[in-house]
Amino acid sequence: MEDVQVVAMLVRRCIAGDSAAWEEIVQTYHRRIYNICYRFAGSGDDAQDLTQEVFIKMYRTLSSYDHTKGAFVTWVTTITRNLLVDHFRKTKQDRMTDSMDTPASEHEDAQPLSEQIPDHSAAADARVRSREVSETVHAALARLSPELREAVILRDLQDMDYREIAAVLKVPEGTVKSRINRGRAELARLLQRTYRQVM
Amino acid sequence: MPDHTSNGMQCNEFDVLLTDALDGVLSGTGLDRFQAHARSCATCGPLLAEAEAGRSWLKGLSEVEPPVNLVMNILASTSGIDTQRLRVTTRSAQPHISWWERTQASLLEPIWATVRQPRFAMSFGMAFFALSVVLTVAGVRPADLRQVSLRPSAIRHAYYSTQAHVVHYYENVRIVYEVESRVRELKRNVAPAEPGRRESRPAPKKDDKNDTTQQPEQKQERNYSQTNSNLILASAHRGPFLNGFNACDLPVVSVSTYRRLV
Ligand SMILES: [Zn+2]
Repeated sequence: MEDVQVVAMLVRRCIAGDSAAWEEIVQTYHRRIYNICYRFAGSGDDAQDLTQEVFIKMYRTLSSYDHTKGAFVTWVTTITRNLLVDHFRKTKQDRMTDSMDTPASEHEDAQPLSEQIPDHSAAADARVRSREVSETVHAALARLSPELREAVILRDLQDMDYREIAAVLKVPEGTVKSRINRGRAELARLLQRTYRQVM
Repeated sequence: MPDHTSNGMQCNEFDVLLTDALDGVLSGTGLDRFQAHARSCATCGPLLAEAEAGRSWLKGLSEVEPPVNLVMNILASTSGIDTQRLRVTTRSAQPHISWWERTQASLLEPIWATVRQPRFAMSFGMAFFALSVVLTVAGVRPADLRQVSLRPSAIRHAYYSTQAHVVHYYENVRIVYEVESRVRELKRNVAPAEPGRRESRPAPKKDDKNDTTQQPEQKQERNYSQTNSNLILASAHRGPFLNGFNACDLPVVSVSTYRRLV
């Protein structure tokens, strides 16, 4: 995924005060971090704030990164995950009462599936439907418990391997796999319920 | 999860193999036993179907596009400056930019960025303070400035009269010093004993200077509370100003700050 030597050099340049190196790090990882935050926190605004926080934390602790102990991407993801845990603790109440029928965010701000008016042309209908499906899946993801949510995000959306996920979450690989299974299954059950309501 | 055995496989073993099965890395007898368990176990069969469905729902989610200004915001909140290069890039994405805008971006932004640095602001403030002290001492009052005429002859007049004030003040100060040194000489002649006492007169000053027992702490404290601005400087663009007075001391500052924060 990453060339260890290249990243180590980039980090060294960064610590030495090379702003171009820092910009390269930001350019390389902002999309990934933003997506993890967006899928976990649910809203684009929160994701933007959290991504910024992640980079501030990274910037301050960059010298603590040791390339012999693991990939940079794992380190970055760990920082992201830890901030998401803090964020979750802070906003626990609001988050848990989120309804699945509320539009998820500005990215996928279509109507809820249950209020859909079925009078589109075939192509437009397919497009709208696909957008609404992702919105519904995104909303269902927000209803998973944080332990299951983070596991499936890292595995199915970020394509991390089990060993890396175990390092980020600081749990054994078996636990990671079990959480992924339960997360996927719970998501399917939530979506099944939604679609049964609609159809 | 209930832990019963079905087809020679326990449910918890099935759970462990489930991810492998969905990843397509399970084969041979392992896969056969897995499938047999799924068919016969009332808990694991549905679990397999749900996990597979959930996985495909998730795989259908595509990556979202971060806001366009995210990178710029991150760089501003970490290195403390909107990098002018990025600004120019965002501008060049727009249909038309005049050469004047480009010049402004490339020439003025580094200067403005430097002016906004705390250290520069402090120096500027000190310089202004010093100037105002000199002007006050020279007898120029801010109130007078309001009535200052900008005609060349008036400016010339103001210049000469200010110079006269300064020269006059300087002469007065010189007389005071001269009187003082004469008095000191006189005293020395009157009381020649007490060796080293006269010599030690500038000493308190010297002591003050070397008495830095409190200073390092204060300095460190300042560094500590200024963590952000130091980091800002450490990664700031090497513009014409920063090259001049920051380049040498920055790495030291940033390293010590990192250590403290970790
Ligand atoms: Zn079973």
